[in-house]
Amino acid sequence: MTVHVRTLDELLHAPLEADSDLTTQEYLVNMGPQHPIAHGSLRVVVRLDGETVKEVIPVPGYVHRGVEKMCEHLNYRQVIPYTDRLDYLSAIMNNWAVAKTVETAAGIETNDRIEVIRTIMAELQRLQSHALWWGVTGMDLGAYTAFLYGFREREIIGEIFEETIGARLTMNYIQPGGLMYDIKPDFAAKVKKLLPYLKDCVEQYETLLSGNVIFQERLRNVGIVDGARAVALGCTGPVVRASGVPLDLRATEPYGAYGKVQFNVVVGTVGDCWDRYYVRLEEMRESIRIIEQLIDGIPDGPYSTIRYNVELTLPEGIHYGQVETARGAFGVLIVSDGKREIPYRLHFRSPNFNNLWVVTAMAPGWRIADFISIQSSLDLVIPDIDR
Amino acid sequence: MGVALGKLPGIVERFPGGAMAITRLDAAINLARSNSLWPLMFGTKCCAIEMLMATGASHHDLARFGAEVARASVRQADLMVIAGAIVKKMAPRMRLLYEQMAEPRYVIATGSCAISGGPFMYNSYTVVRGADEVVPVDVYVPGCPPRPEAFFWGLLTLQRMIREGETIREPGIRRKPVMAALPEDVSLHEIRAEIRAALANENVIDVTQAANQKPWARKVREWIQRASLR
Repeated sequence: MTVHVRTLDELLHAPLEADSDLTTQEYLVNMGPQHPIAHGSLRVVVRLDGETVKEVIPVPGYVHRGVEKMCEHLNYRQVIPYTDRLDYLSAIMNNWAVAKTVETAAGIETNDRIEVIRTIMAELQRLQSHALWWGVTGMDLGAYTAFLYGFREREIIGEIFEETIGARLTMNYIQPGGLMYDIKPDFAAKVKKLLPYLKDCVEQYETLLSGNVIFQERLRNVGIVDGARAVALGCTGPVVRASGVPLDLRATEPYGAYGKVQFNVVVGTVGDCWDRYYVRLEEMRESIRIIEQLIDGIPDGPYSTIRYNVELTLPEGIHYGQVETARGAFGVLIVSDGKREIPYRLHFRSPNFNNLWVVTAMAPGWRIADFISIQSSLDLVIPDIDR
Repeated sequence: MGVALGKLPGIVERFPGGAMAITRLDAAINLARSNSLWPLMFGTKCCAIEMLMATGASHHDLARFGAEVARASVRQADLMVIAGAIVKKMAPRMRLLYEQMAEPRYVIATGSCAISGGPFMYNSYTVVRGADEVVPVDVYVPGCPPRPEAFFWGLLTLQRMIREGETIREPGIRRKPVMAALPEDVSLHEIRAEIRAALANENVIDVTQAANQKPWARKVREWIQRASLR
């Protein structure tokens, strides 16, 4: 299945037509780069007929910093902080992607303790990211209360990160061969105390927002995309799972400690905004389940298997590794020449870039207000698109 | 010269022709402006989560400082919080946003990226090295990203600056301070040697001379003389 996406130039030079029954005129509207729905600075050009969306062309590039080119001047440890600044809501998982690729390529072995702590941290951050997304979606659709509740949990999980890692957003935690810092002695007790509270919070989210009639009307059967089309556009994460494709790298190619734990891959049936909403809520429950299984038996051992000042040189060739972040598969492709400790070429396969282009398939035929809920349900982080 | 001119010189200034009322009005207006800043919803990168969303949310409450009315339209806003890196494609748009904002307008640059380019200072071909190359910036809040408390401190600083009438109204006048440059014919070694010599001088104390200069030195001398006479 091929998908044709028109460029902005093609859109601007195409003749505008009106094919509805009423005599209306088509027109183009810019949304962004400064727009409350943009969640950053994304520009979307929308071709409208009245209030009906006929075509959507995303115009990324307003936060393009050239991270991949910069990484050609940095060694593999120095790449890690820059992955924080791509998808900053799943910084730890981005770090993990680089660490995993480098470890696989260089043959560095880690111990159980490192993998378990990495998994717990990644799941905590997935919870944090989904809580933030839930709040922001509520705000986008007019429920400001949801915003306040979503950020309440984000701050509470953030305190645990701050105690262990020392950062609130840009973590720089998972390194090739281990972790940046060891966990504190009372880490497990604190997380265990937090889990029942988070369970209650997810139930609270349900009662606060899920049952709301307006909210359901705005999400149900809006922006449907079927599984084949989502896969053809390269979607990953909750977006493709909501369309019924059970693609979850944690289950399909287990890494870290995911092979040892029991959890379900949450899959939707319709592929509308509601499914994408509910898949994330269920994923929060699954994340809590994963942490519950791991938190009791964190094994002993060193928190890093290699020294930090060792120079890592990867063997010549192309190395690829990917992890499941809160938004989908984040992949790192490293081309190494085998001589220097810096990559010859580095590419990030970011989940948000592909998840963005699915709006071109979802939005046509819906109103402007539905377009807001469609874009909000994709959970886009713009710096990850632009890199 | 009663209370107004004698005790409140900062608010009321003496001008011939009775300009007293105008200066008082300015102070009142500045006070009102400083406590009703309307920030613009404009975030480009990670700092936007911390500066615009986390500060406005439940844990850190921006409403305590009277700046929680975040506006999506530039025409209704007067405070631009530059949260994140500004790239060359964004710079003209940001300038446009700044010029559309209601006057008087204020700018806070938060985070290393907006101050100097931050982690993207070297080897990046798109990032503008500091948002103050595009718009005049009133307050810089360093950090990567800064904590919400740091942003509050920056906001309070801006409020104080507005009250004292010290913000920059005219773009292009302020120059970026060049911190890395040294004057000609001066090397780092010379500066280090000078500092070391100064430290050495300061840390050497002649104990007897220092003690003689103390107020109790005379009493001690008298006591010693009395003791020796006896």
